[in-house]
Amino acid sequence: MRLLLVEDDVMVASGIKLGLTDAGYAVDWVGSGERAEEVLRAESFDAAIIDIGLPAMDGLELTRRLRRPDMASPSMPVLILTARDALHDRVQGLDLGADDYMVKPFELPELLARLRALLRRSQAATTAVLSFGPLELDTAGRRASMRTPAGEQVIELGPREWTVLEYLLINAPKPASKDKLLQALTGWDKEITPNAVEVYVSRLRGKLEPHGVALRSIRGFGYRLELQAA
Amino acid sequence: MLWKKNSSRRPGLRAMTSDLRTRLLLMLVLPLCVLALVGVWLDYRSADEAAGQHDQRLVRLLPALADSVLAPPIHDNDPPLLLLAPPIEDFLRQNAGFAAYSVRDTSGRLLLGEDWVHSGVPTTQAPEFHSVEFGGVTYRVAAQRGRTGAGELVVALADGSDPRQKWAQQLLLRVLLPNLVLLIAAGFAIHWAVRQAFKPLVGLAEAVERRSPRDLSPIDEAASPDEVRPLVHSLNRLFALVNAQAEGQRRFVADAAHQLRTPLAGLQAQVEAWAMMAKAAAPPRTSFPDFDRKMPLAHEDRAQGAIVLGVDQIEKLRNATRRTSQLAHQLLALSRADARSLDAQPPQRVDLKDLCESLLETFLDAATGKGLDLGLDVQPVHVTGHGWLLRELLSNLVDNAIKYTPPGGVVTIRCGMRQGRAGPPRPYVAVEDDGPGVPEAERTRVLQRFYRVPGAGGEGTGLGLAIADEIARVHRATLTLGTGPQGRGLLVTVVFPL
Repeated sequence: MRLLLVEDDVMVASGIKLGLTDAGYAVDWVGSGERAEEVLRAESFDAAIIDIGLPAMDGLELTRRLRRPDMASPSMPVLILTARDALHDRVQGLDLGADDYMVKPFELPELLARLRALLRRSQAATTAVLSFGPLELDTAGRRASMRTPAGEQVIELGPREWTVLEYLLINAPKPASKDKLLQALTGWDKEITPNAVEVYVSRLRGKLEPHGVALRSIRGFGYRLELQAA
Repeated sequence: MLWKKNSSRRPGLRAMTSDLRTRLLLMLVLPLCVLALVGVWLDYRSADEAAGQHDQRLVRLLPALADSVLAPPIHDNDPPLLLLAPPIEDFLRQNAGFAAYSVRDTSGRLLLGEDWVHSGVPTTQAPEFHSVEFGGVTYRVAAQRGRTGAGELVVALADGSDPRQKWAQQLLLRVLLPNLVLLIAAGFAIHWAVRQAFKPLVGLAEAVERRSPRDLSPIDEAASPDEVRPLVHSLNRLFALVNAQAEGQRRFVADAAHQLRTPLAGLQAQVEAWAMMAKAAAPPRTSFPDFDRKMPLAHEDRAQGAIVLGVDQIEKLRNATRRTSQLAHQLLALSRADARSLDAQPPQRVDLKDLCESLLETFLDAATGKGLDLGLDVQPVHVTGHGWLLRELLSNLVDNAIKYTPPGGVVTIRCGMRQGRAGPPRPYVAVEDDGPGVPEAERTRVLQRFYRVPGAGGEGTGLGLAIADEIARVHRATLTLGTGPQGRGLLVTVVFPL
């Protein structure tokens, strides 16, 4: 995964780059919006992390420009960094095409988590394959499989189980609420009860847990896909 | 609204007006009393004068009466011969029913006229006056001993139209009663007038009293009565000055916190990266040169040589950095939660259930990492307010719960409608944990800024609850600390107005 980091503060930039590199990403760092625009014209990236408070061209303007069709990767996810946390900036940033934002100072693990979520979403949009750990869901071919040391193992899912799992995968690593799962299922049954969700979840557990993917109950809310500690 | 009557408090103003009322009563009623007395005295004087004239008239008539006794009786025991002189006849006719006469001999025996017209026998020739009660009427009786046609006799005239007697009778009814009524009326009038006159002041005092110390908005000068307008004007000027000063201070804190965040962001990014790498590195101890290999950016660090830091030291460094960042963030939030800085933003409808769910997502990893069971118990409910502030409020509460609850504990975020002691159910949010809780004695103090319960570990800044309380206050909600349902842990509840 190749990421572009646009940040004028050397301390912040080097810290982020260090962390991202350590997490296995290839990071290109530029210190100004103008330089970033140049790079983006020629090269493509999987995602960009852009600071709002850049010296000349600010991060919001850069975000607007990189969405132009003449850019190399106009649809890549953009995560905005801001020291301003007023609501106004947030709305403006998301309006202009940013996908998420974080307020400085931030915790690196959270930046990584959000980046992963952004990448997962953009990947799903382009490849139609949702994945979580060893689990892969090919939404085009409607095929669920597990990568195991012994090779790929197909998992048979009923249509409602598929709906539940797909919804959980789209949201992972965030939890999915029972209400939302219920809504996703009403496409199948008009009169479905919350208990039905529990039934499908417990069936899914039986199929996923042997492969190290857990479906954790979040009390009072819903469920979340988690990787079981080895 | 501004001048609404509310009488339960303000002993100061109440005492002041009643004191003033007493003083005004004294100052006005005493002169009134004196005036009444003077009036009575003057009345008396004029009555006395009239009476004097009256007496003189009687005295002038007495010789005529004496002259009317023309001759001694023809037979013994017969009355002397009397022919009333014209002035006497006129007098008797004019005052018919209230006038009488008598003629006695020097021993006091009645010879002519009415017996009740008597006055004893004067020893000298000088006229004497008496008051005689007869038939319910007080008569003025003038008697004189003098020579008559029948020798030395005592003649007396009685007149019931005596002004002095009438005055004495009418004193109570005609003079004192009106004065008394006047005095009482004046008393009531003063009482009422003082209350009316002070109404604007009392209202103003109440308006000022009702304010929270944070509310320094000007009082509506146009809506104030003319009498207190100058006072309102001065108060508003004072408010404005205090406001400007407080605003300056608030802005300074906000600016300082804001300026701190950029260098802190750099520091934190670096330390976080080290911590991540240190954790990933297999051996428990790791060192800088080892990092440098993976750190193509950090040329400037390498030039200075290397020091060795343990994983736990880096963790400590990271925790301290996170805490500092949190403090800067909280200071900023606190300055933003200020009521004055919120005026510009209109409140919006906030879905508390959504908010609770979003907070659960935010804190799920932190809770899971600490081995806590973070869960929800939410009902759909809305309030009017500032979403980002309410989020800040709740996130401080949840953050506290996660920090202070030992591993294995249960933290629950709740929201819904709650039946209070009185009135309809009101929206609430609550965060509940089964950690150590806050002792009853500490509960008011933990809401103070920078106060931390003695002996409480964790990595708090002492600002979380203060911010939550401040935000609750801005939303006219009440934040209360209690004990969790199983008799342990902390339950923080924020109840909103309807």
